[in-house]
Amino acid sequence: MDLNRFKECAAAYGAARRRWPESARALHDQFAGTAQGAAILAEAERSDRFLDAFDTAAPGLQLARRVGALPAPLWRRLGVPAALAACAMLGFVLGFTQARNTADTSVAARLLLGPQSLQEIGL
Amino acid sequence: MAREPLPEDDALDQELMAAVARHDGRAFARLVERHLRWSLGFAERMLGTRPEAEDLVQTAFLRVWQGAARWEPKAKFSTWLYRVLHNLCVDRFRARGAGTDALDDEIPDGAPGPEALASGLQREARVRAALAALPARQRAALVLCYYEERSQAETAALLGVSEGALESLLTRGRAALRKWLREDLH
Repeated sequence: MDLNRFKECAAAYGAARRRWPESARALHDQFAGTAQGAAILAEAERSDRFLDAFDTAAPGLQLARRVGALPAPLWRRLGVPAALAACAMLGFVLGFTQARNTADTSVAARLLLGPQSLQEIGL
Repeated sequence: MAREPLPEDDALDQELMAAVARHDGRAFARLVERHLRWSLGFAERMLGTRPEAEDLVQTAFLRVWQGAARWEPKAKFSTWLYRVLHNLCVDRFRARGAGTDALDDEIPDGAPGPEALASGLQREARVRAALAALPARQRAALVLCYYEERSQAETAALLGVSEGALESLLTRGRAALRKWLREDLH
């Protein structure tokens, strides 16, 4: 009966005593030194070694910075060049909208597309 | 295999969370520094790929920042963060089209696929593929109990199952891995 429970624990938790439920660690102590127990643990250890092959690397500096800066304002997270580009885009959109509000739409179109003919610019 | 140790000082985490609730960006950066390593490892083993894991931990830490004011220290901060990470993983599995049945028990026949287990692949890639092919709850049980060395009680509570059911998830998960990867085990 106890050996059955020992087998069940090895099949679920592997060979290392520290991963077993506290209530079953005395069983580990009881059987680990026996021939039967050692064979069961050796089988479990093969699975453990297999699982151990999946290692994970530490986070890169860039990720650590990016996550640590999540609460920072958007412009600080994106950096100065991106912020300047965003400002330029905002300025253009505001200017374009303003032109549409204060003049006829052809002014806005000229701002965007340039003159439609050479006569428009006196050539 | 030595797991990536969790920061043990939960009192410090709680102080940091209180500061984060007051929008203290430095306290948040300190929390990230303390917990990013293991969070990323957990997410990578759950999701199977590094880019997805990186994306997921960013979302998780954003939730920490946004939820700090409502956070109540009923459990350790790390336990709460595990829950956030695990829930986000489950959301991803659902988004990939895994129904709740697939999250639970049945191991798909033939998974993880012969090409993934081809002997030419590195052993790590084979483990990754095999783990990814397990039903999500078996995988979560293995990742939490084996890699993260969380206690049975904590893991069972995180997964919302009894400790007996957790043991069953672990046994079935390991049995499936043994079956798929027989050649690696000798």
